[in-house]
Amino acid sequence: MKKFINNIKKYYKYAIYSAKAELKSEVADSYLNWLWWIIEPLCFMLIYTFVFGVVFENNEKYFASFVFIGLSAWEFFNRMITGSVKLIINNRDLVTKVYIPKYILLLSKSFTYLFKLGISVLICIVLMLFQHVPFTWTMLLAIPIFVVLYILSFGAGMILMHFGVTLNDLANLTNIGLRMVFYLSGVFFDIKSRLKQHPKLVTLLLKVNPVAFLMSELRSVLLYNRLPNFLILGIWLVIGLLLCMIGVHVIHKNENSYAKVI
Amino acid sequence: MKKNSSKKEDVAITVKNLHITYRGLKKTSIRAIWTKMGSRIERFHALKGISFEVEKGKILGIIGKNGSGKSTMLRAIAGIFSPDKGSIDLHGNTISLLSIGVGFNKKLTGKENIYLSGMLLGFSEEEIKEKEKEIIAFADIGDFMDKPVKTYSSGMYSKLAFAITAILETDIMLIDEVLSVGDAQFKEKSYNKMKELISDENRTVIIVSHNLDTIQELCDEVLWINDGDFMEMGPVEEVIPKYKEFMENMKTTKTS
Repeated sequence: MKKFINNIKKYYKYAIYSAKAELKSEVADSYLNWLWWIIEPLCFMLIYTFVFGVVFENNEKYFASFVFIGLSAWEFFNRMITGSVKLIINNRDLVTKVYIPKYILLLSKSFTYLFKLGISVLICIVLMLFQHVPFTWTMLLAIPIFVVLYILSFGAGMILMHFGVTLNDLANLTNIGLRMVFYLSGVFFDIKSRLKQHPKLVTLLLKVNPVAFLMSELRSVLLYNRLPNFLILGIWLVIGLLLCMIGVHVIHKNENSYAKVI
Repeated sequence: MKKNSSKKEDVAITVKNLHITYRGLKKTSIRAIWTKMGSRIERFHALKGISFEVEKGKILGIIGKNGSGKSTMLRAIAGIFSPDKGSIDLHGNTISLLSIGVGFNKKLTGKENIYLSGMLLGFSEEEIKEKEKEIIAFADIGDFMDKPVKTYSSGMYSKLAFAITAILETDIMLIDEVLSVGDAQFKEKSYNKMKELISDENRTVIIVSHNLDTIQELCDEVLWINDGDFMEMGPVEEVIPKYKEFMENMKTTKTS
């Protein structure tokens, strides 16, 4: 753990710089430039709001904001997981030529995703203003929920990153897994009210699937002025920290062998 | 510990009983795990217990035939591989493996890439800022410095990359094949710069090369390894003839 902290201290500047560089290069040669960071999530929100609000007649309160919160949290998680699987292989040049603690690569990636999440949150605030969602102090509790989401996905990301080096088809597997989690997380529906007839399923989903749980808690604090379930939040925080510790350990143990494989 | 290090102040690198095996992490797919459960993992012993020391300011050449573990050793010293057994002590010196264009992002400008690559090599932003002008001057690619790297010709690309590694100096430099890049004029310039870097009294250098002439010209000492085994280490004049003889013998035994 000490090594981890020292490495973070030593390399976080590089992580930030390289995250900035990546964001810059992402928009360097597109016509609308950084506007895509805003247009893209907005359009997705409109599509989902139309399909699930109008076509499937969902009459959730503040539905557009509801969808957007779910979508933002989901996108972050999705990017972290998909991004980490092929991370080492995509950075082959780097990994075979210099020593860098491998989680720094993930850290740097996560900064770019956090930046995009930040934009989403800003759009979300505007949207909530627009829909006259009452602003309360409870909303600040969204911050610890996001922190738990970050720690969980960082831990899971590190472990996937390790196995992604040796398992060629891990990406296929995670794609299927992610699609399943996507539909079982209630990005565009409320798990509790949609699955009223299957209360067991509801508790199961909300307990086993951290994304579903965190998403529903985010909506509770942001839209409905309800307090989150601190106990379960705490449990997921502990699980997330455990994942991080396992991930750091696995990477420290194996990272110098990656260059021999890829 | 402390006593020991103060006594051997002039030693820059100590390698003790270095073993490296390639194993364990083999590329595989989920199906392969399924079908080959429990089968033994192949091992390849790349380095089999090598020990040596390099004094500060010395230039060491590593020779040996293809696949004898030269590059593996360099990477191990650079910290890219971890030793399976044994230890490598750099006595607190900074180290870099001279390689070209590490961590470049082709969509960014040359200047931004100087920072990106430099920070990756372990330099702070301030240190790079100090050297930035020197790098730009040495690369000598004019206005292209502010244009994205993807618009560069391959010559310009290597000029910039070389300039970064050459100007951002470390205490120990590891060189895998002596580089000369770019057009004829820059080639000479880069070769001379290289020589200048190598012959700096405070810098310890390890060079891997197949070109015995280069080794003879640049190095003080030679380490000869064969199939991962330590063969000999000593002054250039002593080891190289023996190595040549050994290679000749190999040829004749193979053809007969």
